[in-house]
Amino acid sequence: MASKRLGRTQDPTIMVLTSLSGGPKHGYAVIKDIETMSGVTFGPGTLYGVLARLEEEGLVESLPSEDHRRPYRLTGAGAAVLRERLEANVKVADIGFRRLGALGA
Amino acid sequence: MSSESAVNLAIRCYPGWWRERYGEEVRTIAGDLTADGRSPALVTLDLLQGAVRARSRAQGMPKVYDLWSARTRMSIAAATLPWMLVAPFVLMAMGTQSLHSTKGAVSFSGTSFTMTHLQIAGAPPTPAPPLTSAGAVVPFASLAVGVLFLVTLAVLACGWTGLTGAIRRSTTPHRRRVWLLAWTPGLALLADLALIVALILVRPVGYRWTGGGPMVPIGGHPLAAHVLGTALGVVAIGGWLASIVCVAVAAKRADVALSDLRFGKSVSIVTAILFALMLAAYMAWGVGLWVQARQASHGTFTTIAYSRQDLWVPMVVLITGAVILSGFSSRAARRSWMVLSNGIPPV
Repeated sequence: MASKRLGRTQDPTIMVLTSLSGGPKHGYAVIKDIETMSGVTFGPGTLYGVLARLEEEGLVESLPSEDHRRPYRLTGAGAAVLRERLEANVKVADIGFRRLGALGA
Repeated sequence: MSSESAVNLAIRCYPGWWRERYGEEVRTIAGDLTADGRSPALVTLDLLQGAVRARSRAQGMPKVYDLWSARTRMSIAAATLPWMLVAPFVLMAMGTQSLHSTKGAVSFSGTSFTMTHLQIAGAPPTPAPPLTSAGAVVPFASLAVGVLFLVTLAVLACGWTGLTGAIRRSTTPHRRRVWLLAWTPGLALLADLALIVALILVRPVGYRWTGGGPMVPIGGHPLAAHVLGTALGVVAIGGWLASIVCVAVAAKRADVALSDLRFGKSVSIVTAILFALMLAAYMAWGVGLWVQARQASHGTFTTIAYSRQDLWVPMVVLITGAVILSGFSSRAARRSWMVLSNGIPPV
């Protein structure tokens, strides 16, 4: 309950980039992948807000498609940003776990 | 309303460039999600939130001069027009001031800032008891609201002349028509002035009361005065609303130069700041009146009242909404102008 009150810690940008690091996906597949990966439910408005920003920053790009399910893939810059952010998260997580261990929690 | 039409309506709330780029994709995904068991209401709500974000942040908007220029113009309009819509109500919602002693309403000598004597009808003047500390704030807050109203009006008049001049200099398609649209506030004001002058010319020079019967007008043209009085009310309110709509349409269509956008952006920022100050003064006025009522019960004081002070709470809600819209829009205008000035070349 308390963890819910503290709010969502997952960054939608990282989640979308992580989902696309597994290969190109269209929007619906990204939503389903994130749901499986983290239990977080994205709506289409949230997803496409993130995708528009990532596309503008050159971190993802769209691929041609014949129907309305256009796939997106991670660019080289997107992969570099994702690696950097995940490493930072891992570092914080390591420190957190060590300190929790020292507390005996 | 079916879930499909609710989703379509939500998608229509997004800006045109976004609908062109992502509209069909999102419609398909929304259909997939609802078929998958997701609540259509939640999908629609998420899309509406996304539409607000897309409009306010413009993330992913292509770096095309016309798009960013239109965004700057619409942001300037959205920062300034809420003031035009709400501010006249602020003055009306305060009403007329009156002073009261423990014995009822009084006339007074001096000003509401420095009263000297109070006089109840038929009684000799007596030295005025002081205002409470909160009551003493009220006249200043009221004065501040009035001054801020006039200053903002002057700033917007400058902005309006800037807009009409910018349209005249621009290469906007149908420039003359857009220029006339932008002139609506000026035309409405001229019509009001003409009607006021006509009303002065035809109104009765006086009234005679025959005791028990109705007042009898002396001289003038009472019927014409009545018709003109009604017409003045209609033209004043209609012209005011038409001015807001027409200036918004003109701002949307007028393809003005970057330097003119810079001026408009500055006007929008100043308007948003003055509007926020006006809200602060109006809140101080209302809080002052409220605290005064509590302080006055613990001694002999003169109290200030306004004829429409009961409207304070709904007016604060209305003005706060308008101030938030104005503030966000002025920030969007500033950011859009910076994107333009940082190097999207005009086509």
